[in-house]
Amino acid sequence: MNFFDGDFRRGAASAIPIFIGYFTASTAFGLLARGAGLSGWQSILFSATNLTGAAQFLAINLIASGAFPLEIVFSIFLINLRYFLMTASLLTKVRYKNSLEKYLTAFAVTDEVFSVAMVDGGNVNVRFMAGLQSTSWSGWVLGTVAGFFAGTFLSPALSAAMQVALFALFAALLVPEIKKYRLVAFLTALCAALLNTFFYYVLTFSAGWSLAIAMILASLAATIFLSRQNALKKSPVEREFCNHG
Amino acid sequence: MDKTVMAVIIGGAIVNYLIRVAPVVLAKGRKMPPFLATFLNIMPVAALGALIFPGIIESFPDKPSAGIIGVAVAALVSCFADGLVFPVVAAIAASWFTIRFF
Repeated sequence: MNFFDGDFRRGAASAIPIFIGYFTASTAFGLLARGAGLSGWQSILFSATNLTGAAQFLAINLIASGAFPLEIVFSIFLINLRYFLMTASLLTKVRYKNSLEKYLTAFAVTDEVFSVAMVDGGNVNVRFMAGLQSTSWSGWVLGTVAGFFAGTFLSPALSAAMQVALFALFAALLVPEIKKYRLVAFLTALCAALLNTFFYYVLTFSAGWSLAIAMILASLAATIFLSRQNALKKSPVEREFCNHG
Repeated sequence: MDKTVMAVIIGGAIVNYLIRVAPVVLAKGRKMPPFLATFLNIMPVAALGALIFPGIIESFPDKPSAGIIGVAVAALVSCFADGLVFPVVAAIAASWFTIRFF
């Protein structure tokens, strides 16, 4: 079997909704980048090498407002610290054969790639990841090209509606987890959502920090709960989460 | 201007890769403690919750209802249908309908 069959194809197919969401979002990025004075190839290079949503938008705003490069790169760092947690989490799930595979897949870890891979019920190996990540990356890069050169070709109502795509993807990934793990998963997700909302609106943390801290606290609470349950008796749900063979 | 842009693109690319690869380097040759593994296993669920809220409200500043209805439709559809494309397309349709007609 060659590399692009089987798991690669399955990974690529899983990335179709990501492709749709990325293409639309990065169309907006291409437009904005052009407005901020970037050249076509700079915009494409930005998307191809950084592959990150919010941080790229912020960077464009900061470039346009004349901020220093170091300041901008530091903001990118703060917004994207959560990827650290996501790569770490993927290490427990993906069946890597060697270190090289880990170094390669690390490049294209995003919120969406991480979520799809972690929730997938099949064999998640490096070929699955390659299919998933290359398709997602293509959506992000091609959308940037389209946005920069063609502008938006959607009606205002449709392009606004397309913003829901990635959130819909998250919801569609979350529902099966809640079905599988019931109350534990539901409460963990709810707790993370409430914490994020609280940090962002009440404590006015930046979006990146709110998300990272909410993720950490909610997961920590769930882990402590599960470990205690685990010490008493193992239900199937806890066994599943605590099984990392 | 050009120098700034290139510095940001290259600096951003380096920083993003370092964040993404750091756990691989740190975990090398170590066995993951069970508590940490459980923590990392449940994190996707927490991440999904936090990725939806409050981002969905922020993404629809003019009409948050369009976002919330879209997500609700996606959740509902994914209760009955396998796969991810159908819930996403249904959500886009629902959001579009809300923006257009309400």
